[in-house]
This record gives sequence, structure tokens and C-alpha cells, in this order.
Amino acid sequence: MTRAEPPTLTYAFAVCRGDGLTDPAEPLAELPGLGTGAPVRTLAAGPLTAVVQDVPAAGYGEAALRRRLSDGAELERCARAHHAVITAASALAPAVPLPLATVYLDDGRVREALGDRQTSLLTALDRIAGRVEWGVKVYAPTGPPPEAAPAPSDGPGSGRAYLDRVRTRQRGREQRHTLALRAAERVDTVVRGLAVAARRLRPHGVEVTGKHRTHVLNAAYLLDLGRERELRAALASLRHDEADVRIELSGPWVPYSFVDGGITDAGATP
Amino acid sequence: MTERGLIDPPTVNDERHPSDLAEILERVLDKGIVIAGDIKIDLLDIELLTIRLRLFISSVDTARKAGIDWWETDPALSSRAARDTLAQENADLRTRLHALESRIGAEELSTVGAAEEERRP
Repeated sequence: MTRAEPPTLTYAFAVCRGDGLTDPAEPLAELPGLGTGAPVRTLAAGPLTAVVQDVPAAGYGEAALRRRLSDGAELERCARAHHAVITAASALAPAVPLPLATVYLDDGRVREALGDRQTSLLTALDRIAGRVEWGVKVYAPTGPPPEAAPAPSDGPGSGRAYLDRVRTRQRGREQRHTLALRAAERVDTVVRGLAVAARRLRPHGVEVTGKHRTHVLNAAYLLDLGRERELRAALASLRHDEADVRIELSGPWVPYSFVDGGITDAGATP
Repeated sequence: MTERGLIDPPTVNDERHPSDLAEILERVLDKGIVIAGDIKIDLLDIELLTIRLRLFISSVDTARKAGIDWWETDPALSSRAARDTLAQENADLRTRLHALESRIGAEELSTVGAAEEERRP
């Protein structure tokens, strides 16, 4: 081994317009990024600028990266680092987030790849400029329904009374679920009214939500900056009206869910 | 709620802070514009989801630090029933993973088949 320094790869976080993010982007340089010791830097590529960091080939090659991301703690570390750089970049200029683990052999390859996708990247940047993403999740409780006192007529030990109780409980559950779905639709309609685009995300299973509640709406909305107050007011009023479901808001986010062309379903009904 | 302060500032009742691990993973893993890198991490959507679920189930402490603490309020996941629940969830996940793997396998086969048909004059 005569090589003076170990080979490095270029990890790409996000893409901005060239005139939006000028070099040197000091707030970025202060970020640890993936913690490789190399600074987070900008890389000019025609009309675009990529936010990148040098990473050691030994730690971020194909096999190493696969191992890394299969480890829960390491996956979390990488996801948080990735997200932190993207968020910081988008505070400086509209930024299209790239997927976790977008790694190139060198800077030249980043320029090439961005050149190939120049049009769609510029379109995406136009779409998200001046806008942020908000997440709205609606949950229905799944606990036992508030049970009416059992009718004493058949006596406590009767089989028929038991079956009745089971049936009533089952019916109650179904009814509550239907009501929760309707409430979720009303929430979606209201928030869509404020948004320029909306997208339904995959609802979480019980592994994530916990068994005591069901996910009935997982949606992302693209809102113009400055509509936050309206959004919060609308949600406050929805929470008041839809008391049976729980409505959670998260954000503002970099518009992760709205950078890919053709994915918005602004007018679609589920 | 006391645990949340480790990373998140305390949040209002129905509000989740953007630093919630679940929310970050949801966006970072599934979203972003697709530009193929030189290093191929062939993690299909499904596999990412599997990793994500494994993270939630196996790394309780890490996740709790990130403000995800639903199991503490869920009686089904309290210490009394935790072991059974995890075993059951493991079994369920394994079954689902097998089903998904075989479906992906079948899809790949049909893609290959279609490509071969196209080649034919």
C-alpha cells in the first residue's frame, strides 16, 4: 500500500439551486454530518449545487453501508445526521432531499448524476420553494368501548347474554372505526383546503402506533410559508369537533414528500 | 413524559416535534427524490420498512430517548406481557417478511419473463 491517504467517496445529502446556496456555506461547514471528520461542503454542478461530504470508502462502500444501515442504532444515527444536514441546507435555500445513503465514487460522478436529472431537480425546486411540509396523523382509540351496564334480565350466567354482549361489543367496535375513518376524512378535507398539495402516506401498523390505537390517517401536506397560524387554528377547531379521534401535527418539515414528480394527489379521494 | 426531554423539548399534547425518530425515519427512508448513487444499497422499500420495524421493536431504549414511548402506556406491552407480545410480533413479522420475499421473487421472475418476451420477434 503506497497510497498516501485512504480513498474517499462523496456522500450527497441535498440539492439546491446554484444561486441559492453560494459557496462557502458556513452554517453547513459547522455540521458534523456523518461524523467522518470531513466538512459538509457545497459542490457546484451547472445550475445546481449539491450538499456533500467526503466519507471513507472503507466505512461507506456497498457492504459496509449495508451493514451499517441494518444496525438499528447506526441507522438512527445516519438518519438523524442526514436529516440534520438537509434541514440546515433548506434553511439557507430551497433544498431537494436525496435519499439516505446516496453515495458516489467522487465529485465528478455527483456532477454527472445531477446533470442527468437537471430538469426534474429544477422542477422539484420550483415546486417546493417557499413551502413547507406538515404531517398530520389521526388515531382512533382501540380500547374496549365504554360499556353499558349489562342488562340483568337473562341473569349473569346465561350463554345468550354472553353472546349478546360479544355481539354488541363487536358492533360497537366496527361502528367506532367507521366513525373514526369519517372523522379522518373530514380532517383531511380541511387541511387539504389550506394546502397546495397533499399526499397520503402509509399508515403505521400496531408495531409503531401501539395496540391501544389505530392509525386512520397518515398524511403530508405542502403549505405555503406563512400559513402555519391558519393550520394550527384549523387543527384546534378540528380537535374540538372530532373529540373521538386523536389528531397529531408534526412539522414544519423540508418537503420530503413533495420533491418527487407526479406523486401529489391533491384532488384524489382515497 | 420525563424521558422526552433528552432530545425533544417538551411538546404540547397532540404535537410531535420534527425530531421524533419515527417521523424522521418515515421521511428519510421513504422520501427524497430518487437519484441512483454509485454505491448500490439495494434496500427495497419493504426491506427498509422491515429494518424500521426491527428498530422499533429491538431498540426500545434508543427509541425512548427519541421520545417514542408508547409501550410504556400500553398495557399489552408492559412488563407483564412484554415477552409474549414480542414473541408474537416476531412471529408475525417473520411470516409477513416471508410472504413479501416470495412476492418480490415472483415479481422479479415475471419481469424477466416479460423482458424475454419482448426480445422475441
